Amino acid sequence: MRMLTGLAVADFRDRVRRPAYAVILASAVALGYVAVPDSDAKWMIMQIGDHRGTYNSAYVGMVTALASGLWITLGGFYVVRNSIERDRSTRVGQLLAATPLRTSAYMVGKFLSNLMLLSSMLAVLAVTALVMQLARGESHDIDLIALWQPFVLIALPLVALTAAFALLFESLPLLRTGLGNILWFCVWMVVSTAGQGPGLPLDGIGVNSVVRSMYADMVAQGIDVGGSFSLGLTYLDKPLGLFTWDGFTPTADYALGRAALLLIAVVIAVLPALWFHRFDPARGRPSLARVPAQSQTEDLVQPAFIDEVGPHQGSPRPTVATLLRTRPDPGAVTLRLWAGEVRILLQGVRWWWWTGAAFLTFSALASPEIHGIVRVMLPLSWIWPILIWSRLGTQRHEYHVDGMLGAYPSVRRRILAEWAAGLTVTVVAGIGPFIRLVAAADWLGLAGWAGGALFIPSLALALGTLSRTHRLFQAVYLPLWYSVANGLPIFDFMGALRDSSELAAAQPSVTLAVSAALMAVVFMTGALRRFSRD
Amino acid sequence: MLDLVNLTKVYKGGKQAVTDLTMRLEPGMIGLLGPNGAGKSSLMRIASTVTRPTSGQVLFHGEDAVAKPNALRRSLGYLPQDFGVYPNLTSREFLRYLAAAKGVSAKSAKARIDELLELVNLTEAVKRPLGKYSGGMLRRVGIAQVLLADPQVIIVDEPTAGLDPEERVRFRNLLSDLAADKVVMLSTHIVSDVESVASDIAVMAGGRLRRRGTPEDLLRSVSGQVWEMLVDPASVPTVQARYTVSRLVRTTEGVRVRLLSPQSPHQDAVQLTPDLEDAYLAIIRGSAEGPDPRGFGERPFPARAV
Repeated sequence: MRMLTGLAVADFRDRVRRPAYAVILASAVALGYVAVPDSDAKWMIMQIGDHRGTYNSAYVGMVTALASGLWITLGGFYVVRNSIERDRSTRVGQLLAATPLRTSAYMVGKFLSNLMLLSSMLAVLAVTALVMQLARGESHDIDLIALWQPFVLIALPLVALTAAFALLFESLPLLRTGLGNILWFCVWMVVSTAGQGPGLPLDGIGVNSVVRSMYADMVAQGIDVGGSFSLGLTYLDKPLGLFTWDGFTPTADYALGRAALLLIAVVIAVLPALWFHRFDPARGRPSLARVPAQSQTEDLVQPAFIDEVGPHQGSPRPTVATLLRTRPDPGAVTLRLWAGEVRILLQGVRWWWWTGAAFLTFSALASPEIHGIVRVMLPLSWIWPILIWSRLGTQRHEYHVDGMLGAYPSVRRRILAEWAAGLTVTVVAGIGPFIRLVAAADWLGLAGWAGGALFIPSLALALGTLSRTHRLFQAVYLPLWYSVANGLPIFDFMGALRDSSELAAAQPSVTLAVSAALMAVVFMTGALRRFSRD
Repeated sequence: MLDLVNLTKVYKGGKQAVTDLTMRLEPGMIGLLGPNGAGKSSLMRIASTVTRPTSGQVLFHGEDAVAKPNALRRSLGYLPQDFGVYPNLTSREFLRYLAAAKGVSAKSAKARIDELLELVNLTEAVKRPLGKYSGGMLRRVGIAQVLLADPQVIIVDEPTAGLDPEERVRFRNLLSDLAADKVVMLSTHIVSDVESVASDIAVMAGGRLRRRGTPEDLLRSVSGQVWEMLVDPASVPTVQARYTVSRLVRTTEGVRVRLLSPQSPHQDAVQLTPDLEDAYLAIIRGSAEGPDPRGFGERPFPARAV
């Protein structure tokens, strides 16, 4: 038990001492603020028809807990899904593998660490909820039980499941990749919407009982309850009406259902112990090609002097001058740098990806009408390379090549070449819709397409350079793309909604400006990081 | 050619890695010796423009290489202690990319890369992705990239780590050849890596340059101070507390101890010819100025002639 808690606490400490943790907590505070908007605000997280609850402890606690439960389930997954990977890359895993620590205990330790990290976000949100209730001032009666009960009953089981699934995904070779990130987004979409319905096992995500309680209170207050329940960021045309909800007393079944979810989370977390290879390189995936630094132990032993016995005994040793006859001349390198970056970006891309890209291109070329191409085929074409784009800005760091390249000239030219490689992938993936737009002489559509083609690699490079991980781009781009696919015009970066959007004419210039700003972020990050590292 | 002037490096958190270090580098090989944490890698990174110094200057042909690093970078071959490669590229593809980053023309890069692969003995593995290379083979790829653009300055940080003894010797020979007309700066904490090839040795400890000179200079500094004697195994801790001990060999008759002392440590001690490891230890532990007073005790130890 001491080993297990020791592992969990050490892992948690290592994570919270990274600068990214401060950003995570700041995001939690921001989420708490967004969940309880001012009465004049144009957005709302939770509403029933045209009404919302008065901001008392029960309602503020519930809305913040629901928002955090849902959003931490999505964003938190990407935050914690590297607990095993960190042990592998830091080689701590091999040390742990040689201890008596059981694999199941290791998994539970990692699960607890994930849970502690996500729970710390919940704790920050719980405190933020209290502050927001006081700040909004609609009710000054503080009932801490009513305020924080939803965090324990609704948010915590969801967060525990997230912590467990993150571990499960990490333990499976296929889901360990970016494919797992996409799959989780899809799972989250289904669960967060279908999980709100009535009659689900264990009450789904736990919202349904809450909604019924709210409906009952509205009826008691003589309010029309014809509108539907909505959970998620919603744009408001007009202010909402108010009703008072004083919370609900969970039934024993409800509480047991929530406890059962926690238990299920533990089971899911322990499951990988059945196949986890304990960092055995012979059974796991091959490690990154990296020349390790000399270990500290090597310092203890000075090797004996070795006689100068080269491989060319009996014949004169060839000198460098005899072998290196070609004098390297300076020359044009832009195209070769671009080709090199394309090769690096596409390294390891499998045949099925190319097959899928070809299928999408031919589908776009064969589609009967231009509206369908722009509305359906273009978004599909520009979600397919998401895993490739997410490599932009990260690979030098990921493969530890940056230490060597730091002494190479032409830093800015290399960045531009990397961006151009990303642009190339974007263009190739979207070539089918492009050809059809050209054929149809749809100039506005082409302008939208060009805006998207410039924007995507810029976003990927900026987020990759900032975070040095693939996950941030995947976590940001998926919801962004989803909003476009769902017809939300304000985020339409590719001109897919130009037929139904008033913003269509402005989209190309806006995406161009945003792309330029993102590239400025890339260059500034590189420069600032050099100073910061210094 | 390359001047490091009053370099100081203080990292965030206050750790002072390099303190007021000045060094002029001309063609030839300088071996930078020092224990772990001496500041060697920090100095190497500063000299190779990867890290900026907190204060001080790096001048390449008199030009400020901190403010304008590209001139030095074009003439530099740098091999860091810990580096990675793109695992799905072959060595040729990887070197082609690096040649482009160095600004080498396509035509000369192609021929140069073939020659380099032959030089580092990787021609047969050229079609394999780098992810399937051993640590020693990757180190050789790193060495090849150092020579891509025919550098005037070569900076290699712990280059022989991970190489087997034969490769280590070959690499030392290679650097020795290159040092004929280039600045070659090699850092290591393995004395044997530099004693056979470096004409100039600098010893760093605690972020400071402790001594710089030819191997002969360093050997002279401990001339008459290296002794060997046979002691009882139980006396070894006492001897170690009193003197800087460079070697201990357990024999059936006792423990043969090689130590540094300005005077004869015992009537049966035999004076030896110093080697570079003795000089290095003397500098690092400050024993060239005399035995460590902390270890002096009154208790005698039994010793015999070797």
